[in-house]
Amino acid sequence: MITINNLIKSYNGKVAVNIPHLEIDKGIIGLVGNNGAGKTTLFRLLLDLVKADRGEVVSNENAVSKNEDWKSYTAAYIDEGFLIPYLTPEEYFYFVGKLNNRSKADVDEMLSDLTIFFDGSILKSGKYIRDLSKGNQFKVGIAACLLQNPEIMILDEPFANLDPSSQIRLIHMIKELNEKKHVNILVSSHDLNNITDVCTRILLMEKGVIIKDIQTSSATLNELEDYFRA
Amino acid sequence: MQIFIGFIVLYLTAVAILLGFSLDKILSGSFPGKDIVRIFFGFILYYYAFDIVIRFILQDLPTLAVQPYLTQNIKRNKLVQFLNIRSLFSIFSLLPLFLFLPFIIRVIDAKYGVIVSLSLVICIFSLTFFNHFLVLFIKRKTILNQWWLIGFFMAILLLAAADYFQIFSLRNWSADLFSTVIKIPALCFIFIAFAIAALYNNSKFLRNNFYLENLEKSSGEKRSAEFSWLQRFGIYGDLMGLDLKLILRNKRPRSLMLLSVIFLFYGYFFFKPENIQGNNLAILLVGSIFITGMFMVSYGKFLFAWQSNHFDGLMASNMNVKTYIKSKLILLTSFSTVAFFVSLLYVLISWKLFPILLAAWLFNIGIHSILTVFIGTLNYKAIDLSKGSSFNYEGMGVAQWIYSFMILVVGAAIYLPFALLFNSWAGIAAIGILGLISFLMQDWWLDKLTLQFANHKYKMLQGFREK
Repeated sequence: MITINNLIKSYNGKVAVNIPHLEIDKGIIGLVGNNGAGKTTLFRLLLDLVKADRGEVVSNENAVSKNEDWKSYTAAYIDEGFLIPYLTPEEYFYFVGKLNNRSKADVDEMLSDLTIFFDGSILKSGKYIRDLSKGNQFKVGIAACLLQNPEIMILDEPFANLDPSSQIRLIHMIKELNEKKHVNILVSSHDLNNITDVCTRILLMEKGVIIKDIQTSSATLNELEDYFRA
Repeated sequence: MQIFIGFIVLYLTAVAILLGFSLDKILSGSFPGKDIVRIFFGFILYYYAFDIVIRFILQDLPTLAVQPYLTQNIKRNKLVQFLNIRSLFSIFSLLPLFLFLPFIIRVIDAKYGVIVSLSLVICIFSLTFFNHFLVLFIKRKTILNQWWLIGFFMAILLLAAADYFQIFSLRNWSADLFSTVIKIPALCFIFIAFAIAALYNNSKFLRNNFYLENLEKSSGEKRSAEFSWLQRFGIYGDLMGLDLKLILRNKRPRSLMLLSVIFLFYGYFFFKPENIQGNNLAILLVGSIFITGMFMVSYGKFLFAWQSNHFDGLMASNMNVKTYIKSKLILLTSFSTVAFFVSLLYVLISWKLFPILLAAWLFNIGIHSILTVFIGTLNYKAIDLSKGSSFNYEGMGVAQWIYSFMILVVGAAIYLPFALLFNSWAGIAAIGILGLISFLMQDWWLDKLTLQFANHKYKMLQGFREK
C-alpha cells in the first residue's frame, strides 16, 4: 500500500523525519511519540504537503510527489488547515462530495449515518466552520474524510479535541470502517489507552526515527507506558 | 520590492525638497505680476485635499495584534499612544514640510515677520496631523462598515465636482483662509484644535474597539448558499463558487473588491475629451487596461494566498493541480469580462473607445491573467482572513500598486514598439492581437503554469502555514 524509502526531512539542520524503510499495509496503524517526534511531518510527507530532502513515499506503486493518483483514494484530516473556514459545514460537505463525484443525495445519505456522532451541533448550526469549536471542527474534518470513501485515511490526533462520548464513538467508527469497508487507517495520538484499543499495529517515533514497531497485544499498553515514563 | 518602495520615497522626497526651494521662483515665473503669496496660499488646501485621497489609498494602518498585550501589565492608553505615534513615521508626514516650509521661511518670513511665519508653520503641522489621523480614523471605519468607503469616495467626488464646475473654488477659499491667518496669527490655534480633535477622535475609536474581533463574530445566523448558475462549469464552477464565497464572506477581500467597483469610474479620469480628440491613445489604453483589469488586480494580487489558511486541505483533496489552476484562470477571465461589459458604457462618450477597450480586455484575459497566476505562485506570505478587521489593512499598500505597475510595463513593451514604428493604432492592434493569441494558447500556458505551480507548491505550503 504505502512504502517509504530512505525518507529524510530536516528543518534548519534538525532532523524531523528519518525513515530508511517502512511498509504500511492493511489495518489500523497508530503513531505515538512526544511532541516534536515528527508525527505530523510524516503525515504531511505522506500527503505530499512537505518536500522530502531525500527519499520518497510510494503509494500503490506511484511516488506521491510525482503522480496525483493517490488523491483519489486518500483522505486526511490533520488540522483546521484542511477545512474551508468561511463555508457552512453543509457547503463544505457538498464541496468535498463534488470533488469525489458524489451527488448531493449521496452526501445527505452518508451524513445521516453520522447523526449520532454530530450530536446535533454540526448540521443546520447556522454557523460557518470558522465559528465552530475546535472539537466540532474536528468532527467536520473526520466526516469529510468519510465522505470520500477512501482506501487510506490519515487522522492526526483526532481524540485530542473530542469530548469523551465522541471519542468512544470515533473509536467504534474507526474499527467498523476497517472491518466492514476495509479502510486502512493511520492515526496518531497522545492517548495511549485509545491508541492501543483501536490499533492493530503501533509505530513509536522519537526524534524523527521509528524506534519501535509493535503488533498490538495485551502487553502493548504497558510497554508504551514504560517507554514514556523513562 | 522594499528597495523599489525606498526609491519611490527617495524620489518623492527629492522632488518635494527641490520644489519647496524653488517654489517662489516657479510661482513668480508662471504668474507674473500677481501676488505669489496669495497663489501659494491657494495651493495649500488643494494639496491637503489630494493628500487625503493619496493617504487613503497608500498609507498603511499601523497594525499591532493587541490581544497578547491586553493581558500584560501595559495600560491600554499606552498601547493607543504607541499605535498613534508609530503611525506618524511616514513619508506623508514629511512631504508637506519639505514642500511648504522653505517658501514660508524664504518669502513670508522676510515679508511679514517671525510671528506670522511661525503661525503658518503651526498651521502646516496641524493640517498634516489632522489629515493623518482623520485618514486613519476613516480607514478603520471602512473596515468595520463598507458604507464609509462609499461615503468617503462620494464626498471626495462631490467636492472635486463642485470645484471643477466652479460651484465653489477651493483655491479662493484656501487663499482667503490663509490671508486671514496673516492678519490674525492667533488663528493658528484653531488649526491646532482641529489636529487635537482628530487625534482624540482616533484614540477614542481605538480604545473603544480593542475587543472588536470578538464582538464581530456572532452576528446572525449563517446560511448555506448555492450559485446554481455556476453549475454549468462543472468542477470549475464549484471552485469559482468557493472564491466568490471567500470574497463575500471575508472582510478583507470584500472591501478590496468594493474598492475595485469604484475604480470602474476611473474612466472619467482617463477618458477626457482632450485625450480622445487629441488621440492620446496610450493614456486611453492605460485607462482601459485598468478598468477592465481592476478586479483581476485586486483579487489576483493574493490569488493563492487568499486561501492560505486552508491550502493544506486543498492540496491534499481529490483535485488535480491543473484543475485548480484552470479554475483560477477562468475566474480571472470572468472578472475581466464582467468589467469589460460594464466599461462598454464608456463607448457612449466616443466610439473610439470601443476598439481600445476591446484590445485592453483581450490583453487582460490573454496576458494579464497568465501573469497574475505566475506571480501568484511566487507569493509565500499567508493572509489571515479571520483577522483583518480593526488592526489589519496589510496588502492595501504600495505593493499592490507595484504589481499593477508591472502589468503596465508588459503592456508598454508590447504597445510602444508598434506605436513608435507605425502609429498608435498599430500599438493598440498589437495589444489586442497578442492578447487574443495568448488567450487561444491558454491550454499551453496551463501546462506551463501547472509545472510552475508544482515547483513552488512546497514553498507556498510552508509559507502559508507560518502565520
